[in-house]
Amino acid sequence: MSLPITLTINGAEHRIALDDPRVTLLDLLRERLDLPGTKKGCDRGQCGACTILLDGRRVNSCLALAISHDGAEITTIEGLSQGEELHPLQAAFVAHDAFQCGFCTPGQIMSALGLIQEGQAGTDPERVREGMSGNLCRCGAYRGITEAVVEAQEKLGQAGRKEAA
Amino acid sequence: MSGDRKPASLAEALSLLAGAPEAPLLLAGGTDVYPARAVAEAWGRYAPRPVLDLSGLGLAGIEDRGDHHRIGAGVTWAALRDAPLPPWFDGLRQAARQVGGVQVQARGTVLGNLCNASPAADGVPPLLTLEAEVELASRRGTRRLPLGAFILGNRRTALAPDEIATAILVPKPAGETRSAFLKLGARSYLVISIAMVAGLLEIDSGRIAAARLAIGACSPVAQRLPELEAALIGARPEEAAALAAPEHLAPLSPIDDVRATAEYRRHAALVLLRRLLAGLAAPQAQGGSQAA
Repeated sequence: MSLPITLTINGAEHRIALDDPRVTLLDLLRERLDLPGTKKGCDRGQCGACTILLDGRRVNSCLALAISHDGAEITTIEGLSQGEELHPLQAAFVAHDAFQCGFCTPGQIMSALGLIQEGQAGTDPERVREGMSGNLCRCGAYRGITEAVVEAQEKLGQAGRKEAA
Repeated sequence: MSGDRKPASLAEALSLLAGAPEAPLLLAGGTDVYPARAVAEAWGRYAPRPVLDLSGLGLAGIEDRGDHHRIGAGVTWAALRDAPLPPWFDGLRQAARQVGGVQVQARGTVLGNLCNASPAADGVPPLLTLEAEVELASRRGTRRLPLGAFILGNRRTALAPDEIATAILVPKPAGETRSAFLKLGARSYLVISIAMVAGLLEIDSGRIAAARLAIGACSPVAQRLPELEAALIGARPEEAAALAAPEHLAPLSPIDDVRATAEYRRHAALVLLRRLLAGLAAPQAQGGSQAA
């Protein structure tokens, strides 16, 4: 049995023939589309390592069936840098030592991108901590993560306002 | 392998359900369904069941219907959290901010939280204080049940095998209302509640005209506190916290588990209850809201 779906992933259209309706977006990305940047931490929605943007909203890709999202637009960590040039969020994570082992980092960065695009948190560290609360870091790099998100918010917030204007 | 279906309308979903040889698993946001499956797979207990995916039904609206609000089955915690709603929804919206993390809020539905019927479901206490009803549809017709009659026990509801829960109906309270929700967990987010408290007060001329209070995660189904609710009528809001006493918690039956002991839960519930009532007496200071 083959179930055809179409997904736009990091700007590129993919026509996919699913062989099993139970495949999650996470497993589809990692195992079938060679996009392993999205990490599988707990596989049950508790850790946030698999965060992607799905039609602009951040979601845990382990909690979404691929077949339910025919036609969706997806952004993963692989879609952020432009060649060798890091996305401002990636650069801020490096600048602020916002990771130790790095396993949660793609999910943290995708969640931060969603948070900034939602435009709710601003640069208030407490609001950023609440907005990033869906992502665990067992190395405990939270301080650096918060600083990095605030810095990127300042840069991207200004750029966003310019684009909107 | 399959039998999974994603109907495009409620009528199609109901006829698929009525004709299903094996009761399918009803899937909305999936935030309870997937973790349960992952645990079952890990322990070798996974029994595949056909899935009826309800995400194509388009029931994602919050509507003002005059004397009540209708929250459709597809409404996520994030949609509820971000919706402009009157002050009696403050408690439910505070719960929405504390369910899982933001990613879970983006996928999980409010009605799914009720159908999952966990004793620690954060949506149940606020919706009990709102005297919400659950709308159930089948090919036989549509019926409404008060939330307290819909949830029968731990993971048990009154949903019949041929029914789909389609909406939460929230009647509008009269006059000035204040509502709030407090949750205690081992940390602030991504955590299952040890205890939580929801409260709604109707205020008339500076006195409590009606009080509705509910506590969750301290019994198989969240419980209202009718004796305390009765005792608060006629009191000033600022007197309410001091009126809450241990004997008012008689409807609770907390258990010892990995998250807390029964004794700790009972203590925490009373502390949360007094804190919530004190907050409702000084809504500005607590960041709550006031007149409708």
